[in-house]
Amino acid sequence: MADLTQLLLNGLSIGAVYALFALGYTLVFSVLGVINFAHGAVFTLGAYFTYLLIGGAVGANGLLAGLQLPLALPFWLALPLAGLAAAAVALVIERIAFRPLRDQGADPLLALITSLGAGVVLVNLIQLLVGAESYAIPTTALAGLPPAIRLLGAQVRTVQLLLLLVAAALLAVLSLWIDGSRSGKALRAVAEDPTTAQLLGIPSGRMIQIAFGLSGFLAGIAGGLVGLSVSIAGPYFGIGYGLKGLGVLVLGGLGSVPGAVLGGLIIGIAEACVPAQLSGYRDVVAYGFLFVVLLVRPQGLLGRVLPTKV
Amino acid sequence: MGRRLSLLLTGLIAGGGLLSSCSRGDQSASGAVNLKEGVPVGAVLALSGNANVYGQDQRVGLNLALAAMNGNGGINGTPLRLAIEDSGSDDPGANAAMTLQINRGMLAIIGPTLSQQAFAADPIAQRRGVPVVAPSNTATGIPQIGHFISRVSAGSGVIAPLSIAKALQLNPGIRRAAVFYAQDDAYSTAETVVFQKALSDRGLKPVTVQRTNLADSDFQSQISSTLALKPDLIVLSLQGVDGGNLVRQLRELGYRGTIVVGNGMNTPNIYPICQKYCDGLLIAQAYSPELATPANRAFVQAFSKAQAAAGAKGPLIPPQLTAQAYTALQVVAEALQRLDKRKPLKGLSVAAARAALMDEILGGTYQTPLGEIRFTPEGEVVQKDFFVAQVRMNPGGRSGRFALLP
Repeated sequence: MADLTQLLLNGLSIGAVYALFALGYTLVFSVLGVINFAHGAVFTLGAYFTYLLIGGAVGANGLLAGLQLPLALPFWLALPLAGLAAAAVALVIERIAFRPLRDQGADPLLALITSLGAGVVLVNLIQLLVGAESYAIPTTALAGLPPAIRLLGAQVRTVQLLLLLVAAALLAVLSLWIDGSRSGKALRAVAEDPTTAQLLGIPSGRMIQIAFGLSGFLAGIAGGLVGLSVSIAGPYFGIGYGLKGLGVLVLGGLGSVPGAVLGGLIIGIAEACVPAQLSGYRDVVAYGFLFVVLLVRPQGLLGRVLPTKV
Repeated sequence: MGRRLSLLLTGLIAGGGLLSSCSRGDQSASGAVNLKEGVPVGAVLALSGNANVYGQDQRVGLNLALAAMNGNGGINGTPLRLAIEDSGSDDPGANAAMTLQINRGMLAIIGPTLSQQAFAADPIAQRRGVPVVAPSNTATGIPQIGHFISRVSAGSGVIAPLSIAKALQLNPGIRRAAVFYAQDDAYSTAETVVFQKALSDRGLKPVTVQRTNLADSDFQSQISSTLALKPDLIVLSLQGVDGGNLVRQLRELGYRGTIVVGNGMNTPNIYPICQKYCDGLLIAQAYSPELATPANRAFVQAFSKAQAAAGAKGPLIPPQLTAQAYTALQVVAEALQRLDKRKPLKGLSVAAARAALMDEILGGTYQTPLGEIRFTPEGEVVQKDFFVAQVRMNPGGRSGRFALLP
């Protein structure tokens, strides 16, 4: 029983990160029908913002070498602020990489490339400004809490549990907002058909901005939490999560919020189930599972089959 | 039409300018050595990506050696010119950086940082007859790539067993060892073989061998299954970032036993990653800051002075990677000095200078921060002194040192 609990907790804690990451992808995909490839860079920025806001100093490589903000916020305050800063960056990306194409009626697929370009620019900008070295949010950020907690006979790192709880809370708030609020319903209407939504008086452009802002906020929070859990391994920190997030997005069903969460948790648990002797092949198991599911259910676990338009 | 024509012309001019600026500095091997800006030596270092923690230590060492060599008259009056190229932390990056440096007419290359990169990029230098002095490649088989490849970093087969022996000396009660290594990294896969043999030579069969990947950062599952087997020694062949994260997570999840780490974690840059949990790590080293030789004393002094000038605080002790990078450039510079006296570089073609330089490198004996070193005809370093250190973190867990064990 303890073994099963351990396996589930391991899987859920990894899966929560994937889910949080994929939620951001999903929000943008649901309203624009394209994947925002700059999402990984925004996630990375969230980690750096959190590090700087808690008083972390920039290392010796980069234009901002030695920079330290004249504040040292507690982690619980720095994290949402970093999320807001990441949201602001996501809005800028929407303005420069997505909106001009949309305004010109360009094929949505082209936005894949502009977002990829924006992501590459951001990553290189991070390297230029703060160097490529690793940073870590001090373990003292969770001062007062034990490094690990025993739960139902299983041992789990406190930071992983925190990650799981924050992901669950954000999902609950997001679901309540989308299903229960006027603006959430407006977002769903835009996702369904932006032109019709516009004709019905819903400001599509505004709702797209909201989706980007929320997506950036979630990425920033995820980056800060992952930065606390493991080190910030340089400007390319978000790339691995970005690839996994794409897999989660597809597994859960493109554009489905509950699907993103379910997909993240399933991939996390699938990875945790890999026997110790094969632990280096976790990705194969995760993507193999994704492959099989898609063969059986191409629309993903909770995705809808869209009618073909003539 | 006029607008199109002007656009076309602008494009052609811009493209031509770009191409000419790209090709500037490229030099064919049959041309004469270009000494206009100094004697050209290149370095290929991982200054970005996962291995940047090593490249940065190495850059410090190279710059110190450059200042020391040029302060002593360079290459018989001509300054040494060092061009450092970032290889990233992967094979394609190393291949591109190596090719670029060779095309620029560099007489020798120092690098690449990782063994994995060396296996990819060194064959390019070997084919084109360019001497390579590896400052940090410890995997088995590096000098065997070819005549032009040598290293000042002793192979893991020589160093790694020392830390296992020290762990068992400090704690003779160790019975159950667990092993972790990155299966997608040449250094890790080579070093773990040495570690596992050292364990089995002492009657310790690993209770588990966990394979990870370089890009992994979350090890909760592997740690859970490992700790269930109750090891009292864990041996890691990992790089700095993944290794630092694994150490932190092992300690957070309650592991209290001994941890032996390999050369990949032989850098103070692991301190910000595993923080207070780095304390107690055992590591074998090829360099001791306490080595009482004139060459090492001068190196330590220059390092401390440069770091203090850059605003660094606390005990300023050079890491092994910095000392090895310094040594690599010193070897190249001294070999160039000897070569230039025998056959002036001014009259040599790039290809002839490179070939003669390789013979000089292999034929010399060098008084370096690592102690006296020389090379086997194959290019393997011959070094006398090795050490075992234990990481001691300062209160607060933000800084620490590698304390040498007797």
